[in-house]
Amino acid sequence: MTHIIEVKQLKKSFDALEVLKEVSFDIQAGEVVAVIGPSGSGKSTMLRSLIHLEEVTGGTIRILGQGLVEEGRYASGKDIRTLTDRMGMVFQHFNLFPHLTVRANLELAPKTLKKDTAAGIRKRSMELLDKVGLLDKADVYPANLSGGQKQRVAIARALMMQPDILLFDEPTSALDPELTGEVLRVIKQLAQENMTMIIVTHEMGFAREVADRVFFMDKGEIAEAGTPEQLFGNPQRERTRMFLQREKLEE
Amino acid sequence: MSWDYIFTVLPPMLKGAQTTVLMFLAVIVLSVPLGFGVTLLMRSRVKPLAWLAHTYVYVMRGTPLLLQVLFFCFGLPLLPVIGEYLVFDRFISAAIAFVLNYAAYFAEIFRGGLLSIDKGQQEAAQVLGLSKWQTMTKVIVPQMIRVVLPTTANEAITLVKDTALLYAVAVPELLYFAQTAVNRDMRLIPFFLAAIVYLLMTLVLTIAFKALEKRYSFK
Repeated sequence: MTHIIEVKQLKKSFDALEVLKEVSFDIQAGEVVAVIGPSGSGKSTMLRSLIHLEEVTGGTIRILGQGLVEEGRYASGKDIRTLTDRMGMVFQHFNLFPHLTVRANLELAPKTLKKDTAAGIRKRSMELLDKVGLLDKADVYPANLSGGQKQRVAIARALMMQPDILLFDEPTSALDPELTGEVLRVIKQLAQENMTMIIVTHEMGFAREVADRVFFMDKGEIAEAGTPEQLFGNPQRERTRMFLQREKLEE
Repeated sequence: MSWDYIFTVLPPMLKGAQTTVLMFLAVIVLSVPLGFGVTLLMRSRVKPLAWLAHTYVYVMRGTPLLLQVLFFCFGLPLLPVIGEYLVFDRFISAAIAFVLNYAAYFAEIFRGGLLSIDKGQQEAAQVLGLSKWQTMTKVIVPQMIRVVLPTTANEAITLVKDTALLYAVAVPELLYFAQTAVNRDMRLIPFFLAAIVYLLMTLVLTIAFKALEKRYSFK
């Protein structure tokens, strides 16, 4: 079985503060992994390292078998670009381009990078907007969308680049509770289509439902990993239990 | 008030107004790109370059524009050795001073504009595969323009009025002809006419910038 992502002993520190210490995991093509854990546990940093928004201090990241960083040494700028192009990312605060309409948000990158003919790009953007249920918003500016709609546009925008892997950094944390459902439905649909996804999330119910595996991160390491049934049903470690209990109380 | 008098003093004043407009256009067209260049230098990772750009802005903002205009018109030719090659038409000397001065203000305005743009914009562009240059031209600058438009409009209006400093170096522009007529005829009308022409110019600018702001509202 080939691993689409391999991470070995990933380390990152800011001065004396160790944000990531020895994080290792493998992810298979088509797998959906939910990453949970308290804030400050390094979840976002780990995710952002995979797509080179953060530079790590040590360790190895391989994407599709090729080294993005090997034992702390980064590949050339061009190789990094080739690898990160295989991934898309969805941010907590959507990060839509406010000066572009919804459709232009989707089409900016493929047009600029000449991924396809103008007609091909147009066709794909319309298909994806249809897929996330926002075909009628194609010519609207992001300022006129709700949070849930913005996040669905952001997902469509990431899909425009036809990534093999999608990374989600707390995709529903900035949303009003009644708007999370529409975003989670889109992610669930992607899971059914076998998109490889890593989702950092606070939505325990969603993680349980959609993930093939769950990583519990705490203090810069993966403290426990397993299927949702194992991790939520029968957590092995004390700190996992404590975290899940706290989360339950909040819900 | 006699219409005859107005029609005798107005033509030379309008000719002076052409100089005013010409100066305004030359300064805007040159100082905006130069200012943006200085903004980029101020943000440069090469420390000496950033330091140089900051010093430039500090000097140009920290001394009177009139001093700078006088320096470029009358001071440059006095420089040892190179001075004799630096004798230009006075309009051009003054224009250089204006461009350098306004570029410093625009540089600060644009720097503020860039600071106001969320870091997430750059990150979103990066993960979509855009290069730094593509990110700057297609994502950052269009958003910066929206932010800086009101302040830029303010600067543009100030510039229209600052062109009256040309009076001090005897480049005949709108105010020069008004003042000459007032002195000669001992009548106030030329001053009022000059004021009206300035107001018309700033009105055109105000309307133009409002239209730009609307276009850049992204709603």
